[in-house]
Amino acid sequence: MIYRYTSAALALLLLQGCASDPAPTEQMRLTEQVVEQARTVAAGETIAELSQAEEKLARAQAAMAAGAYRTARVQAEQAELDARLAEARVLTLRSQAQLTELNRRIGRLRDQLGAMP
Amino acid sequence: MSLLRCATLALAGLTMTGCAGLDAEHSAELDAARASFQSVKEDPQVLRSAPKDVIRAGESLGRAERLADYWGSADDVAHYAYLSQRYSEIAREHGKLALDQERAARLELERQRLQLALREAKLISVQEQNAWLEEQIVNLATAQTDRGLVMTLGDVLFDAGEARLKASANRTVLKLVQFLQLNPRRIVRIEGYSDSSGKREENLALSRARAQTVADALTDLGIDAKRIEVQGFGESFPVAENASAKGRAQNRRVEILFSDEQGRLGATR
Repeated sequence: MIYRYTSAALALLLLQGCASDPAPTEQMRLTEQVVEQARTVAAGETIAELSQAEEKLARAQAAMAAGAYRTARVQAEQAELDARLAEARVLTLRSQAQLTELNRRIGRLRDQLGAMP
Repeated sequence: MSLLRCATLALAGLTMTGCAGLDAEHSAELDAARASFQSVKEDPQVLRSAPKDVIRAGESLGRAERLADYWGSADDVAHYAYLSQRYSEIAREHGKLALDQERAARLELERQRLQLALREAKLISVQEQNAWLEEQIVNLATAQTDRGLVMTLGDVLFDAGEARLKASANRTVLKLVQFLQLNPRRIVRIEGYSDSSGKREENLALSRARAQTVADALTDLGIDAKRIEVQGFGESFPVAENASAKGRAQNRRVEILFSDEQGRLGATR
């Protein structure tokens, strides 16, 4: 009897631990928002991490529809961070372009001022 | 009884293989996440600009490690290792961005300072400057001769026996550049002269080299080389006696002959 209970409890634990996750509605909403924002910031630029985020979001949405909530949560969480990284990368790329432009302008000004004592 | 026990054990065994067993790939992911976290947490710039992401990288890594050590599934370990890795990368990007922005702010100040200096140099209005510059050019040892407007750069503007211009010549050269920029149709002939001491050919070469130096200085500052003629005359056409040191110094000169407004230069000597 005791063993039967133990094994039943164990099976239950297993089910809880691995199988039945709640629907990650909040995470899905957040990920969709973050991916959309990254898309806006990238403005058509191709960023590898953004493509990854979009693929994972699509997978998460499919998993949600199929009721595979665990997969949905995992994919959505990864997609969120992929998108955040994509956005950060776009911003650093732009800031680097800005630095190059500033240096170019300064160089040009220095050239013109070169003759000043 | 023993059957049940076997079943439980088998179940437990299944759990172990199904969830816990970390294969090489997953432990590599965990190592990568550890390394990334280590590098961002020790970078003060990253810590300052993205403390939250660094903390989250650490939390996710902690989760991945606990799952790996005790009861978690390999997939979960990989997942949290991945998240940790991403948080670290995001933090690193934010750190880079903050650094870039600080740098950009400094460069922008520098750019504004230079632009102001350049504007000052170019003065407020073109007309004003034109009048001012013409006045300056005239003041600067410029003489209206039968050959046209001539400006003389004295020997003191060159290193002795060298074609290189001294820094003290910069102001004169800049004024010349500005004058030519404001009078785009005017062209110049730059003529080099020397005294009569030393060999004739050497004097010719030096006079020509000095004239070319002035021409180069003008083209470097954006004057089209097509607007500049260069000629060396050596010891010909002295303006003073070559007997005295003072006279010789006066003869060592570069003359800049300006064309009229239509770009017509006087005939060469």
